[in-house]
Amino acid sequence: MIRVVLVDDHALVRAGVRAELEGHVDLVGEAGDVGEAVDVIVATKPDVVVCDVHLPGGNAPAVIRGVVDRGVTTRFLALSVSDAAEDVIEVIRTGARGYVTKTINGAELLDAVRRINDGDAVFSPRLAGFVLDAFSADLGASGDPELDQLTAREQEVMRLLARGYAYKEIARRLSISTKTVETHASAVLRKLQLSSRNELARWAADRRLL
Amino acid sequence: MTPDVPARPRWQLPRIDSRERWVGGVAAAVAREIGVQPLVIRAAFAILALAGGWGLLFYGLAWIVLAVAQPDRLAPYRPEPKAASPIHRHIAVGMIVVGLLSLFSQIGFAFFPKIVVPAGFILTGILIAWTHSQDESGVAATARTVIGVVVGLGGLIAFVLVSDSFVNSLVVVLVAIVIAAGVGLVAFPSLARIGRELDVERQDRVRADERARVAAHLHDSVLQTLALIQRHADDPARTAQLARQQERELRQWLYGTPATRATRLGPALEAMAAEVDAAHGVPVTVIAVGDTTDVDQGRIEPLVAAAREAAVNAAKHSGAPRIDVFAERLPDRIEVFVRDTGQGFDPDTVPADRRGLADSIRGRMQRVGGSATVHSAPGAGTEVELVLPLLVDTVEPQQEVSS
Repeated sequence: MIRVVLVDDHALVRAGVRAELEGHVDLVGEAGDVGEAVDVIVATKPDVVVCDVHLPGGNAPAVIRGVVDRGVTTRFLALSVSDAAEDVIEVIRTGARGYVTKTINGAELLDAVRRINDGDAVFSPRLAGFVLDAFSADLGASGDPELDQLTAREQEVMRLLARGYAYKEIARRLSISTKTVETHASAVLRKLQLSSRNELARWAADRRLL
Repeated sequence: MTPDVPARPRWQLPRIDSRERWVGGVAAAVAREIGVQPLVIRAAFAILALAGGWGLLFYGLAWIVLAVAQPDRLAPYRPEPKAASPIHRHIAVGMIVVGLLSLFSQIGFAFFPKIVVPAGFILTGILIAWTHSQDESGVAATARTVIGVVVGLGGLIAFVLVSDSFVNSLVVVLVAIVIAAGVGLVAFPSLARIGRELDVERQDRVRADERARVAAHLHDSVLQTLALIQRHADDPARTAQLARQQERELRQWLYGTPATRATRLGPALEAMAAEVDAAHGVPVTVIAVGDTTDVDQGRIEPLVAAAREAAVNAAKHSGAPRIDVFAERLPDRIEVFVRDTGQGFDPDTVPADRRGLADSIRGRMQRVGGSATVHSAPGAGTEVELVLPLLVDTVEPQQEVSS
């Protein structure tokens, strides 16, 4: 069973998520702020951390950095009500493997946790939209065109994700395997994390869309 | 606002209102306090001024007192009409003027012009130059300073001219400066304290206003919604819908949409989504990519209307728990996808009512040179694809120059 730590400052949200994941994953710990989260994660070394973006004492990126600093390797799934590009892009660039909004239903959340555990990326439609927008904007060349542009296939995958399609449906539509869709998504995540850093952060700050 | 507004003090100094003033606003302030037209008091001051300059002296003193008494400014100030009728008030003003005139005639008009008139000028000049209101523009403030200096210098010159000798007048001026310095030294600490208190009070007020604004907004929106949710606790669909609607509003209020990257299509689709959700109780998620500020508004509107038709159609017939709307601005076209994961249908054997909707969507798009395609199959959900080609006359995004 996948070992999961849940980080959210709202006990009600934790209770809701716990109810949805219980029985399907092994919930090994919970935390309500940054310091507590780092301690719990270091102590339990879970496979996946489901982490709220906004936390007392810092945000999700502070948790990710804190855990990395203490030499623990785990995978993060960001869960938030915030749809601000700034928050979403920052948490992804710090190392989270995926971002979903709190309106996600239980089955989708479970699917996302499993995908993160397999080392894949998880894109919500919102995150896919941000990616398309960010990579279509002129961010200036960082010297590595490989990282600054999406391939045509990656764009297609992102568009379908933004349109609300699941990985399986995308695979069917593009006549490729689900594994290939996941490979494309992971490649996009890598570009998002590595490409023209400052410009992407600035783009996100500028785009405080709903 | 808070109901516990402090009771009005029994007596307050007249307050100067910079919007009413001709010179210093004293006449207007007194007039407001007494309850007569400002012109009456102005005339009274003018008559007294002619009587050997007494009026100027009174005016100057009153101005200093009222200007220093500014701390009252933040207290609520509502001069109440005095008990006497307007006629009585005017008679009272007249009697005071006549009484003062007779008093001055006893003291003598002759001596005062020599001192009072020049002193009045100097005082007036200083006050004109130094007092200023915050709502004055830079030009007005400069003009005020120049006029003040000129009037003040005129007074000084008059002083020298009417005096018996230059030395005498110099002594008088020096004495005046020493007295002024003394008064300044005595008054400065309390004036500085008043200034600081004013600052603190102003900041408190700004904070209180901000708090009141946030509280008012939360009350009108969030608290109302929470009350509604409690009332509809037995209706999960309605509760969820209320929560979503409130979330959208709060988000809009908190983050807003900046003018710099304002995409016309995005906010329009968001508004459409909110309406469809409110009317049909199905959440509609909107993802908009790219900037459409260069696209003619007249072509965006039919596109949004077509998307609305598609979303309403999905909300009514598909049975899907949510609807996804994705819009993207590409260099040569705008694409909008309205998708549900509901029951779907066979587009070739559509019931008449749904064909009608499809046609109306298609019709709207065709009128602006676009197209609409419905992708659906029984059990596989429905996706309506709207494409709006952009004409060559739309402004192309600036081509980047590779250096």
